[in-house]
Amino acid sequence: MSESQENVLEMRDVAVHFGGRGGFFGSSGAVVKAVNGVDLDIRKAETVALVGESGCGKSTLSNTIVGLQTPVSGSVKISGEEVVGADSRKLNDIRRKVQMIFQDPALSLDPRSTIGATIGEPLLVRGIARGKALKERVGELLTQVGLRAEHADRYPHQFSGGQRQRVVIARALALEPDLLICDEPVSALDVSVRAQILNLLVALQKRMGVSYLFVSHDLSVVRHICDRVVVMYLGRFVEIAERDTFFANPKHPYTRALMSAVPEADPAVQRSKQRFVLQGELPSPANIPSGCAFHTRCPLATEICSTVRPELTPRPDGALVACHHA
Amino acid sequence: MSVMTSAHIVRQRLRRVPLSVIVVSIILAVIVLLAVFAPLVAPFDPNKQTLLARLKEPGFSYRGMTYWLGTDDLGRDLLSRTLYGARVSLGVACLSVVVSTIVGVSLGMVAGWFRGWTETIIMRLVDIMMSIPAILLAVLTVAVLGPGFMKLVLVLGLTRWPRYTRIAYAQTLQVSNLPFIKASELAGAGAIRILLHHVLPNIAGPILIVVTAEFGLMILMESGLSFLGLGIQPPSASWGSIMSTGRQYIERAWWIVAVPGFGLFLLVFSVNVLGDWLRDQLDPRSRSR
Repeated sequence: MSESQENVLEMRDVAVHFGGRGGFFGSSGAVVKAVNGVDLDIRKAETVALVGESGCGKSTLSNTIVGLQTPVSGSVKISGEEVVGADSRKLNDIRRKVQMIFQDPALSLDPRSTIGATIGEPLLVRGIARGKALKERVGELLTQVGLRAEHADRYPHQFSGGQRQRVVIARALALEPDLLICDEPVSALDVSVRAQILNLLVALQKRMGVSYLFVSHDLSVVRHICDRVVVMYLGRFVEIAERDTFFANPKHPYTRALMSAVPEADPAVQRSKQRFVLQGELPSPANIPSGCAFHTRCPLATEICSTVRPELTPRPDGALVACHHA
Repeated sequence: MSVMTSAHIVRQRLRRVPLSVIVVSIILAVIVLLAVFAPLVAPFDPNKQTLLARLKEPGFSYRGMTYWLGTDDLGRDLLSRTLYGARVSLGVACLSVVVSTIVGVSLGMVAGWFRGWTETIIMRLVDIMMSIPAILLAVLTVAVLGPGFMKLVLVLGLTRWPRYTRIAYAQTLQVSNLPFIKASELAGAGAIRILLHHVLPNIAGPILIVVTAEFGLMILMESGLSFLGLGIQPPSASWGSIMSTGRQYIERAWWIVAVPGFGLFLLVFSVNVLGDWLRDQLDPRSRSR
């Protein structure tokens, strides 16, 4: 919240829509409003979790930040530099400061490249290092993520899932970015390996001061790693809060539903827990309900919810919530 | 340690190679070696005419020289001509496959990567090319350009590329959606680097299969065009042109057609068997069948 700290990411009123333009034969498809006017700041060395069910626009939002997706409106600034509308040369410069980690480590490494070539690629194509210096730097990066320098000559299939994700992290860190977008980095991994990768991310943050945007639907992971939580529903943020506030006192009915879906280890607690179960499915983002997008599934919904869209408003404990009733 | 294991893997793989594949590989190797070393192996000059020894049957001897596979209508040794003809047939097939692979694969990758109007133009061109029978297209092009070895290569290469383009295009579409391609893009790699370093190695398997299928077809096309008088011109020997002249004497000298015909059969058959096996090895779906 303090203004003095520098923001590595500043998003203002970003909207991403798909389709809608008339097709070749004059048929005009419906506009899918994947992201619909969101603001988000991430400070240096901060970890922000982006939570929501699949189809709510999380991945579209992360693609927009790295410039793989062009928004219809709004501004995305990474360390003060505008991503939206940047030409490919400028975009390449900006991407030194923002990198991405993907969900499935098996698919995010080229099966035909050695991991040394994969990790060294960002340094090589940008002319930062070559030859012996490149090899040394790759070895350094490998040790940093808990692998050994001599692993550089191996191929991805010779590694386990957790090791592969370490390689992916090493590649993302090669350019020493300010912001790392982690798109469900541990959901494809074994539970036993998950904690190792999360701890590695935390340790790297301490050492390098990198910020994370942590996209996830797993609240237990979010609680473990994040400073701040953002909840997304149908392309909009419905709740933004510091981690402790968020878990102690979730306010938006959607957030509360997400929380009550987390199973408790103790069956007695689980049975006595008051479940907050949602009705129905996520509406199509091509046909977002009027007013509050959540009113079709919300147990608290009243007349006003179907007509007036609630804005994010601050609450006494610092949380921002978009709801008429919570 | 890793050397031992990889040697072990190779040995295990070899044990699973079926006998038919080993046999056709040996046949192929023998044909290629004979073609390459034709000047050393051939007992006669392939173009030397001996008019007193015209249309003689295999095993015929004249002035102390034995014509093991007989002679043709101008008294030329059929064995020597077939050996030299193999050079032409193999050369045309290899070069035209190389030309069409390079043209076809690059166009396919470009279409699949850049999409948009590039894709529309390239893929519609492919549709147009594929809708015209290849042999007709080849005949037309030869009629315009005239016959000759390099022209034959060019004609075959430039009429056969759409097949590779289709495969390369479809595979590129599939591969370029994978996260590791996105990651390379984020790393700062340009289109050319991504296509050559990441897309091409990952689509090489299916393309290799098309290459083997096309290789057999190219040998047949070369023979067909030479047979029609549109390929290699006399006196140079190619299997097609030998058969073309032999056709006129088939009731008096069957061996003129039979010898290069049998060579052609062996070569095409071997390449196809090898290609089928290769496809099964590379395609996990057909391996499980």
